[in-house]
Amino acid sequence: MNPGPFLLLALLALAAGGVGGLRFPRAWLGFSLIGALAGLAAALGVLLGAPDWEWRGVWRLGGDAIHLRLDGVSALFLVLLSVVSGLGALYAREYWSDAGNPSSAPRGRAWWSVLTLSMGLVLLAANGLHFLIAWELFAVSAFFLITLDARGRATRAAGWLYLAASHAGTLVLFAFFGLLAARTGSWDLGPMQDQPALASLLWLALVGFGVKAGVFPLHIWLPSAHANAPSHVSALMSGVAIKMGIYGLVRFSGWLPAPRGAAWALMGFGAASAVLGIAFALAQSDLKRLLAYCSVENVGLIAAGLGGALLAGAGNEAAGGNLLLAGALLHVWNHGAFKALLFFGAGAVLHATGTREMNRLGGLWRAMPWTASLFALGSLAVAGLPPLNGFVSEWLIYLGLFDAAASRGEAAGPAGLTAILIATAGALALATFIKASALVFLGAGRTPATRHAHECGALMRGPMLFLGTTCVFLGLGPLAVWPAIARAAASWGGALSPVGEPPDALAMLGRAQRVLAVGAVVAGGALWHRVHSGRHRRDVTWDCGYAAPTARMQYVSGSFAGIVSGWFTRILRPARTLRRPRGLFPAKAFHLERVPETVLERVLGPVAAVFVRASNAVRRLQHGRLSFYILYVAAGLVAVGTFVWVGSLR
Amino acid sequence: MMNPVSEMPLRLAVWLLLAPLLPGIVNKVKAWVAGRRGPPVLQLYFDLAKLWRKGVVVSTLASPGFLLGPAVAWVAVVGAALLMPLGPSLAGAGFRGDFLVLIYLLALARFCTAWAAMETGSAFEGMGAAREVSYAVLAEAAIIAAVLSLGVQTGSLSLSTMLAPAAGAGAALLAAGLFVVLLAENCRVPFDDPNTHLELTMIHEVMVLDHSGPPLAAILHGASVKLLLFSVLLVQAVLPIGQFAPWAGAGVLAAGVLGVTVGVGFVESLLARLAFRRVPLLLTTAFLLCLFALLVAWKGGPS
Repeated sequence: MNPGPFLLLALLALAAGGVGGLRFPRAWLGFSLIGALAGLAAALGVLLGAPDWEWRGVWRLGGDAIHLRLDGVSALFLVLLSVVSGLGALYAREYWSDAGNPSSAPRGRAWWSVLTLSMGLVLLAANGLHFLIAWELFAVSAFFLITLDARGRATRAAGWLYLAASHAGTLVLFAFFGLLAARTGSWDLGPMQDQPALASLLWLALVGFGVKAGVFPLHIWLPSAHANAPSHVSALMSGVAIKMGIYGLVRFSGWLPAPRGAAWALMGFGAASAVLGIAFALAQSDLKRLLAYCSVENVGLIAAGLGGALLAGAGNEAAGGNLLLAGALLHVWNHGAFKALLFFGAGAVLHATGTREMNRLGGLWRAMPWTASLFALGSLAVAGLPPLNGFVSEWLIYLGLFDAAASRGEAAGPAGLTAILIATAGALALATFIKASALVFLGAGRTPATRHAHECGALMRGPMLFLGTTCVFLGLGPLAVWPAIARAAASWGGALSPVGEPPDALAMLGRAQRVLAVGAVVAGGALWHRVHSGRHRRDVTWDCGYAAPTARMQYVSGSFAGIVSGWFTRILRPARTLRRPRGLFPAKAFHLERVPETVLERVLGPVAAVFVRASNAVRRLQHGRLSFYILYVAAGLVAVGTFVWVGSLR
Repeated sequence: MMNPVSEMPLRLAVWLLLAPLLPGIVNKVKAWVAGRRGPPVLQLYFDLAKLWRKGVVVSTLASPGFLLGPAVAWVAVVGAALLMPLGPSLAGAGFRGDFLVLIYLLALARFCTAWAAMETGSAFEGMGAAREVSYAVLAEAAIIAAVLSLGVQTGSLSLSTMLAPAAGAGAALLAAGLFVVLLAENCRVPFDDPNTHLELTMIHEVMVLDHSGPPLAAILHGASVKLLLFSVLLVQAVLPIGQFAPWAGAGVLAAGVLGVTVGVGFVESLLARLAFRRVPLLLTTAFLLCLFALLVAWKGGPS
């Protein structure tokens, strides 16, 4: 099957959607879905065995002929892009409807199509210059989507921060592609393993793509952008857009000769991202910010797996390396599925209650049973628990790390340490998602905001249901997706021998997962039946005999996360305001706690403040008084004259 | 060696039927040290039978997850137990990486228990759930370090071959580390006191305050299976179980588990519960012990 016609169809449909979306919402939805399905068909065709697709156009753009390529790696990411963008378009029809947002909904549709199209072009571009053009278009269209509802100050600030950070990353990528073109003599991209002189360039790629992927400590833009964007945009950003950074890392770590240090850096920063990302997530009380920090964790897992695969390739431990690479690539899909699901769920909650602040929510399962159960499913998946998909990719990554550790090779120590750090991150993720789902959906509603909550409609529920099913399917049938992962890994191009047959253990894992799922359903049904066939009644929560509990007595975000935030307090640096109850009849007492984006506010902020102060000082020279300007010119002339005169004396 | 499929019912029977014996033994040891007669060793069996027949009171706030949580947690713990080999004669069908499934099944059980606790909206149960998931972070790091040391020691990544030989030079460190993790994960003194009903001092017990009848029976039975699971893990990690003849191995394993259980009873009789702020310290110590066992395994050279 030739993917070319499908890609052309996707291109045309998305372009039509971008133009027509401003006026015709239904047609836009149709075009978006056609584009998504066509992209999916093209990508699946390549993943399931079609040869790589390559196309060189006759037109020139910026002096170079257009050159597109769809191989295993880009097809893997294209599948994710197609699925999430199609579902997001469906979701947006209800979530960001014309009735609710008459001014921004048309713009949102147009930019959505542009963003999808530009991300697709990033995946297809096989020319450095065109890659940069698509990359820039992608960054800018994402900015307009984040600031779709620009009325809030926080949203505007998040948008600017995103734009600034994104461009800082793009600047590095300009240097990267420019130097690459200068050294190879052509903008064409492709495997360059045989040119050891290019190895040092990989460092630039790590930084440039690391900003987009949100690897700690380059993640500063990520939490606020993902939290303040409309939820369907957050889902696309978190599920797919940061994966473009991962795509760059995967692509160029496979194509360029990888220096050993870069592999160490990927693994080290990946492991650090995993632990710190999820520690920050646990401390958040804003549901969407929590999800955003959790993306930092998952990107860290992927980066650690990729770094480990590079190291294993360099150390000739192909078996473990293949497991790590397969785990990292599968986690790209898995994270895309469950994170989009969770952001859709968070959007449904925001839509129903008007707040993202978990301390104001609670007890929503009654009003929103679908959202609650699907969010719970996503929580199980993101915490990496069997029998869902998150566990499969984490299991592959762990197994690769354990292989490296047990081989006692050069990477043994760091691999073991990374395994321990990932285990810690996994346990923290469990705590984080118990907290998130319990505070939002369980217990009693904490404020009146929860009283009028309502379940979302079919257009929002459908995408969530689809993603939930995907999480279950990828968890129960890991063997079914192995050929696709193996195909992507084979076109990675790094120092590993191609990933062949699935490891036998994966089949056993799939069987164990299915047995567990059946067992859980049977036991749940049996206990349910036993309870409802005997005597049973409802009564107020026992609470040690306290007869009048109120919703405000429940645990909240800060109290649930308190123990762990205490351990990380030197890194999290929470801002606390405490007023204790005093006297016999205490009046007002409160405890406010906020965990800032520490790297931004405590590290970058002060550095930036110094620059601003210096610039302000220099700005005093510019005041508009002509006499002083003449003095500047005279002083400048004297200085230059003296300089020349001193030079001529020598 | 039996066929893994045909031995499954036997393994299931061992886990399900013998597990409730352990808390009885612990209580008997505690009674003996204190000079009391104590409850019968089979007390938990009687309790479970009674609870299974009783009715249920469910909080008005609780969703169906309140009942599903204990059921799934029970399945997860029993599933984890079925992955654990029982000596050389009942080693089961292991696969590479099965220990990770075991650890994550225990995590799934934790998720479900904490979920069911949060269903009630009670501050006490929130407190218990917060403590449980927080301390589990350290316990999980310790247990991964422990299995990593076994993996490095034996060069194998499947439980049946990992646990068969002796733990090597780091055995004492590993045993101490795993014993502390056993105490923490099973909520025994000095981490938690299963006897008190002062909610402020509890972890696990406080999470199940609102459960009654059959769901409580599932929770209590699951907890006893978990205690047996950790005892079996500890014994097999340290002793060279694989080198015995099949039935001698089973005997050694049973004796070892009995020894561990009696040890838990003595710890409970002789120590007081720790202040909560000291709990992380002790767990970190357990993690460090396992980490040192890992270093010893690395330095020990190939075995």
